[in-house]
Parts: sequence; structure tokens; C-alpha cells
Amino acid sequence: MSALDDAQEEVKPDMTPMIDVVFLMIIFFICIDFKVLESKLPAYLPKDKGSSSAVVEPQEQLSVRIYVDNAGTPDYSKGGGGPGVINANTKRPYRFVMKDHRIKWEVGPKPLYKLEDVKTELTRIAKDPSSQVKDPKTGGKKLMSCVVEAYPGTFYDDVAKTADACNEAGFAEINFGGGLGPKK
Amino acid sequence: MSDVSKLAQQNVEMDMTPMIDCVFLLMIFFVLVIDLSQKNLEDLILPRAVFQEPDDTPPENRPVINVLQNGSVVYNQKVYYDPDQHGRDFRNPNTAKPIKDLLLAIRTQGLNEKKLKLVEEDIAGKKVALIDDPILIRADKWTEWNYVGEVMKQCSMPEIAFWKVELALSEQDKETGEKNSKLGGQKQ
Repeated sequence: MSALDDAQEEVKPDMTPMIDVVFLMIIFFICIDFKVLESKLPAYLPKDKGSSSAVVEPQEQLSVRIYVDNAGTPDYSKGGGGPGVINANTKRPYRFVMKDHRIKWEVGPKPLYKLEDVKTELTRIAKDPSSQVKDPKTGGKKLMSCVVEAYPGTFYDDVAKTADACNEAGFAEINFGGGLGPKK
Repeated sequence: MSDVSKLAQQNVEMDMTPMIDCVFLLMIFFVLVIDLSQKNLEDLILPRAVFQEPDDTPPENRPVINVLQNGSVVYNQKVYYDPDQHGRDFRNPNTAKPIKDLLLAIRTQGLNEKKLKLVEEDIAGKKVALIDDPILIRADKWTEWNYVGEVMKQCSMPEIAFWKVELALSEQDKETGEKNSKLGGQKQ
């Protein structure tokens, strides 16, 4: 009995290294969480447009137009500040969030009001054999390119979501029509 | 040598644990600080996208153009174009001049320092000189597309000729907290 008592008394685990490691791991995971992974959309510009005045054969492409359905209102309630106010710490304007911003699409001639419907329509077009066009490089067939045209008042988020839907449907070549003017 | 000094020498056992802790903490600190400072990234909330390419290993010399919510164009933490100052109507060529000058300066500096490569391509029977390296445009999700489109348009100008334009997206929407279920967005 006395030997057992001795053995029990001697067990004094040193918690310091474990606590150290736990703290290190907490710091590591907190810091990792701040680093949001970024991805990219290769929006390669056509080499034959703008870069030279050479005339090239026009190609059939699907037009995806984005219009503003409801402009929405900027909301500064989260970060503070207001329109045109500069944050003294960051030297940048305060950030806003758009409330009630709604857009509508026109995929070809068809008007659509939900992103899900845009995805369905784009997938249908991508699978349609008549969407295949001649590939000037290989001489074979390829899916036509699509051009995303954003009308005044649309935001980067609207374009990114539409481009994402095009990618999901299988369109490999996505062009952007820009410079359609500022918001009225 | 006395017995006492012998004993003292034998008992010197250095505890390495605190030192290793400190080294690890310093490593984490420097890795994060270097990572954040070198990227020339403005604090923006990028739009979330699922079917895009992950940007895990960006090219070292890739220029990064930031477009803020109000349309300001920022490069290396310096504002080059401010809509309040330079105007918003891009039909007037003077409005986009600061953006054009910035891209020209990036191109000239990159070519002089051999960080950017110029290639000649034969397009429709004409030789066209193009920059063969990518350029990244980062914009906030609530930046009007008009401003992003103008930067892209300027990139396509023959005297600038950055044709490999990449648009930055995120795998998580920091505004709503929505996150892609798969890490490293997959392109179909």
C-alpha cells in the first residue's frame, strides 16, 4: 500500500509545455483565419481588339447583359462614417454595403431575374449543338465564347457572379464588355 | 577542483522549452508580417466565386491594381486616380489619363528592370508587341463595374498591351461569411 501511495504522489505532470503548445496553436489558427484564400478569374483581353487596327473575322458569341433592376442604397451602419468621409486610420473612405440592390439579366434575348435561372439557361445553351462554332485555330468545333456586358449601376459582385455562372455552365472563353458609362 | 564546483558543473541543464517557444512565435510573426506587407493588397472585400482558379502561387512580379469602392485606383498604397478629383466620365480622355499614366509607368519600369517580358505576336498579318505577364485587378464587391472595366480597357490599349488581365475573387465572402465548401475553388 505504501509503495502505491508513493507512486501516486510522484505523478506530477508538467503542464507548461502543453499550455505553450496550445497557445501557439491558438495564435496560429487565429492568424490563419484572417488570411482568406484568394482566387482569380483569368479575364484575358482579346489580343486583336484595341491592341491593333487589324481587321479579324467576327465570331459568333453569346451576349449576357446585366441591368440594374433596383439600384439599392449604400448602408454605412456596419463600419461607420458616411458618403465621402475618409477614415482617419486607414486614409481610405469608409466601407458601405448595398441594401436592396437587385439586378436582372438578358441571356441572349431572354430576360431573367434569378441567378439560378441564369445558370440553367447558360447550361442549356452550352449543351445545345447549335452553340458550337468553328475554331479558327484548330479548324474543329468549340463552344462559342460569351461576353458579359454590365450596364451602368452594376457592381463588380454582379459581374463576378455572372462570370462564375458562365464558368459553371462550361463556357471557357468569357469576355467582358466594359465602359458602358457611369451610373446616371 | 573542489567537490562543490564539480557538482555545480554537473547540474547545469539548460531548459530549451521557452527558447523554442519564442523561436516559434517569432517565426509565425515574421511569416505573417512578410506575407501581408509584400502583397500590396488594399483591405477590400472581394466577391465570392466557386468555379475559378485558386491563386495560391502568384507570379512574383505581377503588378496588383486595387480599385476601391468609390472607384479610386490604388497601386502600392498610393491613390493614382480619384473620381472626385479626376471626374467620372470616361468619354473624356483626360478622365482616365491618371490610370493610363500609371499603367504606362508600370510597363516601362517592369521592362527596364526586366520584370516584365514583351513578346511579338502575329495577329491578322500584323506584328503586335504584347506584355506576356499577368496583371491582377482587385476590386471591392461593391465597386461599380464601370471603374473596373475602364482599368481593363486601358490595359488593352496598344501602348500598354497588358492582355493577361486577372480579376481577383475570394473563396469566402467576408461580408456575409459565406464560404466555398471546397477549398481551392475548382474550375470546371
